[in-house]
Amino acid sequence: MRVDVDGVELEVAPGASVLEAVERAGGRLPTLCFDDRLEPFGACRTCLVAVEGAPAPVPACTTRCREGMRIDTRDETATRVVTTVVELVLSELDRPPAPDTELARVVASLGVAAGRFTGATHEVDVDERHPYLAFRHELCISCGRCVRACDEVQGAFALTVTGRGFHSNVTAGLDSGFLDSSCVSCGACADTCPTGAIIERRLLTLERERDDDTD
Amino acid sequence: MSSNLVELIRRHHGPVARTALQVLKEAVEDHGEVTDEDRLRAAEVSGLPEASVHGVSTFYDDLLQPRGRRHLRVCTGTACFAADGDLHVEELADGLGVGLGERSADGSVSLAETVCLGFCHSSPALRDGDRVDAGAGAVERALRGNTSEAPEPGWRSTLAEPVLTEPGRWLGLARALAEMTPAQLLDEVLAADVRGRGGAAFPAGEKWRFACSAAGEQKFVVANGDEGDPGSYIDKYLMERNPQLVLEGMALAGYAVGADHGFVLTRSEYPRSKPALERAVESARREGHLGDDISGSGFSFDVTVLEGAGSYVVGEETALLACLEGLRGTVSARPPFPAERGLYGAPTVVNNIETLANVPFIALRGADAYREISPGASTGSKLVCFNERFAAPGVYEVRFGETLRELCEVLAGGIRGGIKAVQIGGPLGGILPSWKLDTRFDFDALAAEGCMVGHGSIVGFDERTDMRALTRHLLRFGAHESCGKCFPCRIGLRRAHEMFESDAPVDRDHLEAVLEALEVASLCAHGGGMPAPIRSLLEHFPEELGLG
Repeated sequence: MRVDVDGVELEVAPGASVLEAVERAGGRLPTLCFDDRLEPFGACRTCLVAVEGAPAPVPACTTRCREGMRIDTRDETATRVVTTVVELVLSELDRPPAPDTELARVVASLGVAAGRFTGATHEVDVDERHPYLAFRHELCISCGRCVRACDEVQGAFALTVTGRGFHSNVTAGLDSGFLDSSCVSCGACADTCPTGAIIERRLLTLERERDDDTD
Repeated sequence: MSSNLVELIRRHHGPVARTALQVLKEAVEDHGEVTDEDRLRAAEVSGLPEASVHGVSTFYDDLLQPRGRRHLRVCTGTACFAADGDLHVEELADGLGVGLGERSADGSVSLAETVCLGFCHSSPALRDGDRVDAGAGAVERALRGNTSEAPEPGWRSTLAEPVLTEPGRWLGLARALAEMTPAQLLDEVLAADVRGRGGAAFPAGEKWRFACSAAGEQKFVVANGDEGDPGSYIDKYLMERNPQLVLEGMALAGYAVGADHGFVLTRSEYPRSKPALERAVESARREGHLGDDISGSGFSFDVTVLEGAGSYVVGEETALLACLEGLRGTVSARPPFPAERGLYGAPTVVNNIETLANVPFIALRGADAYREISPGASTGSKLVCFNERFAAPGVYEVRFGETLRELCEVLAGGIRGGIKAVQIGGPLGGILPSWKLDTRFDFDALAAEGCMVGHGSIVGFDERTDMRALTRHLLRFGAHESCGKCFPCRIGLRRAHEMFESDAPVDRDHLEAVLEALEVASLCAHGGGMPAPIRSLLEHFPEELGLG
C-alpha cells in the first residue's frame, strides 16, 4: 500500500506500522520502549506523529498504516508533547543518562536540557549478586523491554514488571535476583535496556572508572 | 499483555479454572498477606512463571496491604471526601493507632485505604471485615468495635415503563430465541444506538458487529462490573439488586455474537456483588435461562463470576481481560481490539454492566420503543446516582435530556446551603459549577462543557469545599491508580499530584505541559481523562487553586 511521509510517497507492506513507514522513508523517530526484535508495546509515547484525519497525534509504533495515509513527523503538538514526556522521564531519574545509552541519544535528538520537572526519583537500589549482570533499579524507566526480551526472545520468563504507577519497576524471579530465578544469563535484557539499568558488570566497571576519572 | 503468558495459561487450564490472582486473593483472605510460598503455589496452579506471579502480587491493592486479625478499610472516594474532606480517614487512623496500609505490631488490627465502597449515599464509609458501615457515627462505631451494617441506597425510576429498574424476567431472551436470528438481534441493537454506559460511550452494537465478524470458534462475552468510579454505585445496584437483568443482557450478547460463555468481573470493594450474581446464575440455570440448549433453541450460554483485587484501571477493557486471566491489570495498546483478540486470545465482547442491562428491553420491545424513551436526546434511559450531600441520595432511572438542575435540585432535593459544583460521571469527568446547572444531562451536551455522562454518578460539593484540596484529592487518586504502563500517565500524574501536594504556588506552564502530555499521549482513558476535572477547576475556580 502507498503512504505519504512528510510529503514523500512510498510503498509499504500491508500491516506495516507507521514507525516502519517513517523509517523506510529515511526518517527517525525518538523511541524508548521500542525494539524491532520485540512486539510493539506502545508505552513510552515518544514516537508520536500526526496522521491526517486523526484528532490528535498517534504513537507510530502501534498504529498501522492505511492506504493513502498521510503522516507528518514534524507536527508541532507531537514534538512538544514528546519533549514533555522525555523531560518527565529525566525527572524520575536521580542522575542524567550515561552518554552511550539510548535515553541519552533521545534526549540529545530532542535538544532537551535538564528538563523542567522536579519531584520524587526512584530509590537507589543496586543488585550485583549475579556474576555478569548488574541491576540498578533507580535507572529503570519501566519500558518493559527487558521483560519482553526475556519472554519473546529467550522464553525464559525470568523477569516481571513490579508495582504500579510511578513505583513500577522490574525484578527477576520472586525478587530474588537473577541467580535465583529462571534466568539463563543470556544478556538479552542488558542488551535491550535503554538506560543501563540492567548492565553487564564489565561495562558497569568501565562506567565507574570513567566516572572516577571525570571526578 | 504478553501473548506468550496468555498461551501458557490457556494450555495449562481452561478459562474457568482458578487463576494466579484468585490463588493470591485466597492467600490474603486466609493468612493476611502473600508469602513466597503462596506465589509458588499460584504459579503451579496457573501455569504462570514465578516472576509473572510476583508481578501480579505487587500490582493489586488487596494483595499489598497486610491484614491483621481485624481488618478495617476506609473509603477515600470522592463522595467521602465531599462529606468531610477526609477527616474520617484521620480520625480512624488516629483512633486505631495504625497508619493507612499498616498492621499493628501485635497483628490485632490493620487499616487499609479503599476507593470506593459504593456507599456514597451515606458517607463516610468504612469496611470492617466484610461489613460496610457508613454515615454519621460510623467512625465512632468502628473505634468502639461495634460497626453495624449500613443500609443499601434506595432506587426509583422516573419512567412509567422502566428499562433498568424492573426485575429481569428473561422475556427479551425468550423473544429473541423464538422470533429473531442472531443477525436480527444485532440489527435491533445497532438500530437502538445504545452507547456504552461505562464511560467511553462507544456504540455497543458496533462492538458486537466486530465480534460477530471476527474469526474464531470460541468467543466470549465479558460484563465489566469493575465500577471503580468513586461516587458511582450504579453497577453495584444492578449486580446486587437486579442481577437477572444483567445475566439476560449477557446471554443476548452471546446469542448475537455466537458466544457460549460469559464472564462478569466484579469488584472486591463490593463484597456483596459476586455472591448476588452467583446466586442469580444458580437460579437462572435452575429455571432454564442459562445452560445447554436454552428452551430447546440450540443456543447454550453459561456465566462465570470472578472478582478483582483493587485496581481502578482494571475497568479499562484490555486491563480487565488481563485481570480475568489472573495477570497484572495493565492496559494494552489497541489494536488488536478485544472483539478481534480478547480473553485468552478469543474474540470477546466487553460491555459495561449497565450497557448489557439495556439489551433485554430492546430485545423484547424493539429499537423504536427504546429510541422513544428520551425524545430529542440520546437513546434509552440512564441510571444516575447522587452522593450523601444531596437531600435525597440514591439511584434514579432518568431520561436523557433533563437539565442537571432538574436532576440535582428537584429529583435529589438539592444540597443544604447550596451546590458549589458537581462532578459528573466519575473521576475523569469534568466539574460543573452551580452556574452551569442548566446544562442538559446528555452525551453531547455534557461533552460540550468538557464533561461526560460517564458512569452517571453525580457527586455534589457544598459551599465549604476547598477546591485546591479537591484537585489534590483527584490527582492523588489518579497517580495511585495509574497502571504504570505508559510514561505520560505513570510520571505525569505523579508530578501533577506533587505540584498540589504542598501549599506552594503551582507553576501554571508546567501544569499545562503535563496536562497536555496526559491528554495527547496517554495509552488509555485514565491518563487521557484525568486532566478533564482539573481543567474544569482551572476554568471555574482559578482563584482557589493557588496558581503561581
